[in-house]
Amino acid sequence: MNLAVSLGKMKLSNPVILASGTCGYGKELVSYLDLNQVGALTIKSLSITPWKGNPPPRVRETCGGMMNSIGLENKGVHRFLEEDLPFLETLTTRVFVGIWGKTIKEYVAVAQELEKARRIDAIEVNVSCPNVEKGGATFLEDEETLRRLVAEVRSVTGKFLIVKVGPQVRDWGKVVSIFEKEKVEAISVTNSFPALSVDVEKMDFFFHLKFAGLSGPAIKPLALKMVYELLCVTALPVIGMGGIATASDALEFLLLGARAIGLGSYTLVNPSSALQVLKGLEEYLTRKQIDDINSIIGKVR
Amino acid sequence: MKAMVQNKRFLSEKLCTLTLTGDEGITSASPGQFVMVKVNEAFDPFLRRPLGIMEVDGNTFTLLFEIVGRGTKMLAQKNVGEELDVLGPLGKGFSLFPSFGILVAGGRGIVPLYFLASTLARTGIPFVFLLGIRSREELPLLDFLEKFSPVFWSCEEEVPGGFCGDVVALLQQYLSSVSLPVGTRVYACGPEGMVRALCRVEMLRGIPVEVSLESLMGCGFGVCLSCGVEKKDGKGYYHVCKDGPVFLLSEVGL
Repeated sequence: MNLAVSLGKMKLSNPVILASGTCGYGKELVSYLDLNQVGALTIKSLSITPWKGNPPPRVRETCGGMMNSIGLENKGVHRFLEEDLPFLETLTTRVFVGIWGKTIKEYVAVAQELEKARRIDAIEVNVSCPNVEKGGATFLEDEETLRRLVAEVRSVTGKFLIVKVGPQVRDWGKVVSIFEKEKVEAISVTNSFPALSVDVEKMDFFFHLKFAGLSGPAIKPLALKMVYELLCVTALPVIGMGGIATASDALEFLLLGARAIGLGSYTLVNPSSALQVLKGLEEYLTRKQIDDINSIIGKVR
Repeated sequence: MKAMVQNKRFLSEKLCTLTLTGDEGITSASPGQFVMVKVNEAFDPFLRRPLGIMEVDGNTFTLLFEIVGRGTKMLAQKNVGEELDVLGPLGKGFSLFPSFGILVAGGRGIVPLYFLASTLARTGIPFVFLLGIRSREELPLLDFLEKFSPVFWSCEEEVPGGFCGDVVALLQQYLSSVSLPVGTRVYACGPEGMVRALCRVEMLRGIPVEVSLESLMGCGFGVCLSCGVEKKDGKGYYHVCKDGPVFLLSEVGL
């Protein structure tokens, strides 16, 4: 049975990817699963300097999901290269690294630092964060800034380039034409959904920043629709994610045409769930008497 | 691991204990550590619940929790013979070798300190146990402390035999009546208000205070970074699941 898939020139041993922000810097998960068994892991988004993130509370459970307001806390690219790269060098699986910045310059600086590390297979640009030079709207909401951001990161990296988008996209056609023109090689869809929660006891917003990102099974149908619509307007490979917890969830994304899938919040609940998803994919293919997973990708259009 | 419910007991309407049999992984648990419990096999409630470990005997362990929301309510509905999915033991526990321990628990904060007291008693380290409860409802918590001595307790309503007030006032009364040996450590766990009040106790100056903190959590193993607690110097956050749940009171900003 063949589970190997490709995102353009990027070959993966299977389509199951650990999504950014839910597998830490990699090491944290080793007592729960063999990282070499997943298609790729995506290191949580790194910034040029350490970033402390948002004040608590940072998480609230919702029906069938969760909201988070971590605020991109991370140790910064330099400490990552020093403390975590040696461990990642012992792995044989693909290593993707998320990057973010408050300005385009910061994104570029992180990409430049990562360029030196040969072990890193791909950069995933998280464009769902606030652009401080544009009053805090996300990079996704301003197409000209998005174009400059992607072009400038592209100009400093030879690595496989993925952009991770969220539901803030206003016009898929425009965004996709930017990505295609600027030689983005794959698109991750979707980041969490901006959402809101009220603390009725305190009669106040639950989160200090009001809005927080909704993820988990509750968003899966929304994410599926995004993946479907995106694939109507681009031939770029898509990594589908949003609420995947089981093989059946993963299959929905693959059948719609995603070439790989990201496991996100559910890894927080069941840190070895990637292996269960993988096993479930194999069982499905066996039951359907299909010997190559590629033959089901995009079957539902 | 899968853990099977061996015994369930309601101490009051809101307080429940579950004794579970897991695998050998739990035998290494030390006082202050916790487990992440999935209350059902569905995707709702989505997250696990972080619960302190109260007692470990071989691969059997006891949890005591308060019903505070729908997750803990579902947990309290589990029956003997049912299985739960449990991750752990997790986190960093208490230091175990003081010359003398002062254990200060508020309500369900008794959980890790009961485990600590049992361990200190076994190793022959002397300690005093102070327990504060809010109301008569929580009196059954006192039964756990029968085997320890000395024990002092307080209740915020007047109950015969108890100090009337909160546990921090009881602690202050205790501290003013004794002279402490070198190497004394204070161990505390309780509601946020109690922990904050401890920071203001003058008589604790110079005595290390270890506090076990409670927090909303996503994963419990250091990945999601949901359980941030500010560092004393304001330069970022510790994560309760991995850097704690036990911290020196002097290193966290509350």
